[in-house]
Amino acid sequence: MKCAFCGWEIDEKQIGQSERCGQCPGGCRKVHCPHCGYANPVVPGYLQRWMKKEDDDPVT
Amino acid sequence: MSQPLEIATKRKIFLVGNPNVGKSVLFNALTGAYTTVSNYPGTSVEIARGEATIAGTTYEVLDTPGMYGLQPMTEEERVSQRILLQEEAFAVIHVIDARNLERMLPMTVQLIEAGLPLILVVNIIDEAERMGIAIDIALLQQRLVIPVIAAATAHKRGLDEIRTAISSFAGGRHPAYAYAPDLERDILRLAVQLHGDYRVDRRALALLFLLRDEETMALVHRIEGESAAAIAETAKEIIFSHRSDLHLRLSMERKRICTELLADVVSNTPRQGRTFGEKLSALTMNPWTGVPILLAVLYFGLYQFVGIFGAGTVVGLLEGDLFSDIINPWFISTADRFIPWLWLHELLVGEYGILTLAVRYAVALVMPIVGTFFVAFSILEDSGYFPRLAMLVDRIFKAIGLNGRAVIPMVLGFGCDTMATIVTRTLETTRERVIATVLLALAIPCSAQLGVILALLAGVPGALLIWTIVMCVIFLFVGFLTARLLPGERPMFYMEIPPLRLPQLRNVVVKTLTRMQWYFLEIFPLFILASVVLWAGKMTGALESLVRFLAPGMTLLGLPEDVAAVFVFGFFRRDFGAAGLFDMNEQGLLSPVQLTVAAVTLTLFVPCVAQFLMMKKERGWKVALIIFAAVTASAFGVGWLLNIFLLSMGWLT
Repeated sequence: MKCAFCGWEIDEKQIGQSERCGQCPGGCRKVHCPHCGYANPVVPGYLQRWMKKEDDDPVT
Repeated sequence: MSQPLEIATKRKIFLVGNPNVGKSVLFNALTGAYTTVSNYPGTSVEIARGEATIAGTTYEVLDTPGMYGLQPMTEEERVSQRILLQEEAFAVIHVIDARNLERMLPMTVQLIEAGLPLILVVNIIDEAERMGIAIDIALLQQRLVIPVIAAATAHKRGLDEIRTAISSFAGGRHPAYAYAPDLERDILRLAVQLHGDYRVDRRALALLFLLRDEETMALVHRIEGESAAAIAETAKEIIFSHRSDLHLRLSMERKRICTELLADVVSNTPRQGRTFGEKLSALTMNPWTGVPILLAVLYFGLYQFVGIFGAGTVVGLLEGDLFSDIINPWFISTADRFIPWLWLHELLVGEYGILTLAVRYAVALVMPIVGTFFVAFSILEDSGYFPRLAMLVDRIFKAIGLNGRAVIPMVLGFGCDTMATIVTRTLETTRERVIATVLLALAIPCSAQLGVILALLAGVPGALLIWTIVMCVIFLFVGFLTARLLPGERPMFYMEIPPLRLPQLRNVVVKTLTRMQWYFLEIFPLFILASVVLWAGKMTGALESLVRFLAPGMTLLGLPEDVAAVFVFGFFRRDFGAAGLFDMNEQGLLSPVQLTVAAVTLTLFVPCVAQFLMMKKERGWKVALIIFAAVTASAFGVGWLLNIFLLSMGWLT
């Protein structure tokens, strides 16, 4: 994924690895960009699947 | 235990390159889903490994950490260097950014010098083409004498060519690039003393040794044994003989080589002036035009869309028409019929009932506001406006001891101040972190609080203007004061600005839904918990005592005593407190002056429990308590002064 602030390509492996504040029930849903620190939200599974489907079957 | 022969002899492909050039995208494209991540032996640096089957042959692919050259500066780069210098590679794929060929080619030259089996991938070629940069790939390949492939891996362009290059790769020797004669003589003098068995070219090792690269020196000591001392002595003599900075000299030489290699390879198609996007981008960062643009963004994005539409129209429909007229009366009448026990009746549908307060606040008040806020936020985020905002406010922020980088926690603070407090650690100095923490705790309202306040004050002519002026003055004054109390350096701020772009509908929808889902999941249990605590406080009389305790403070601010409950709500969560203020205003309990004073005091008032705990975690008990006390005193002090000022001036009366 790309950081929404600085455009840095965030390694998918870093999702869930960034520093957490621990205040959100159910765990952290943010990926902090290693370049600028911006907190990018982790897209939930159903939206990821929807995006992937759109990418695989583009409507022209 | 010995490994199976097939695995032990698997051909290895190393992906190397600067950070952010699309290495990981290429890694994922080559390897698919089956990858493993593990620490490189003896380090905490993670390396991703995967397998790629190309033309019937299986390769092991390693995604190395980003590096800027063969001489490492960080632990990550050290690991990448160690992999390149000490592990046997079938092919090394160097991924570079087509937009910055001149800056990235020196590393290619270094890798060629090292004698590594290199394939060059000129990535992000689509963006380069859009910028009018044309690259003659065939000519570059001819000059480098290695396979060169143009690609846009994020869009699957060039992947087949990369696979073909791997399957038909034959390795082989590459041309050596000649430095100035005196340098060449010295490099050779050292290289001929290296007799051990190395995986990379001795000339490249000699160069790294002359640059005092620790890894290389350790490697040479390990392999050369007793001869290492003589090699070190020769290197010392050479370094001393040059006197001037050898790093700089070699960099200049490599730059010269790259300029020669790139002659006629890269051409910029002259464009008729700048594009509309570039012009707009420049306008957003110029103070004379950037500030009016910012005000327009705040007016339309925050005031009109979040304040008037979200907090006014949508909340009116949900809270007024749906919950107050239909859902809550039904809850209450049902509870009246079936629940005879007062405590349960109160818990579910009482003044602080879970159904009548927590659910209503979460669904009818907070959700429409944060929903519209997240739409506006996602549009700005997707357009690339935020980094430009950082550049715009850099000068102002420098006056308060920060710089443009602090825009990141400030912008995030509008979403959640607690999370933004943790992001302050990305600021360079402790001084900046403390200043940013103070400002977040004091003057940055969260989105729901901001939306409610905008909606409340929009109905009172002049109130919103007063609130805005007070908040801006407090923000700058407190920042200025804190910066004076905490003297220190002001680090420079620079960043690469990504292109300004038209927001994509899909991105905005996905980002908004994502944020709304997480926000709802986060606040819903907390609102219910707050409701239960308030119910317990009411049933035991503790809440009444607390409100009585705070009552003199309310009187000083010229507010009704009941407003104390709103501040108690606000300590649970800022948005909960704002929703309480909304309720009181709906009941007609506040005059315009009282509403304005309450809104200002509540915005400045102490951070919520979660934010306080985060401040304690990040800054320690002492600093957190000082900030807590200072913020509380400032909030009530400003509220008190504002009340006196408004009454004496006869404004809003």
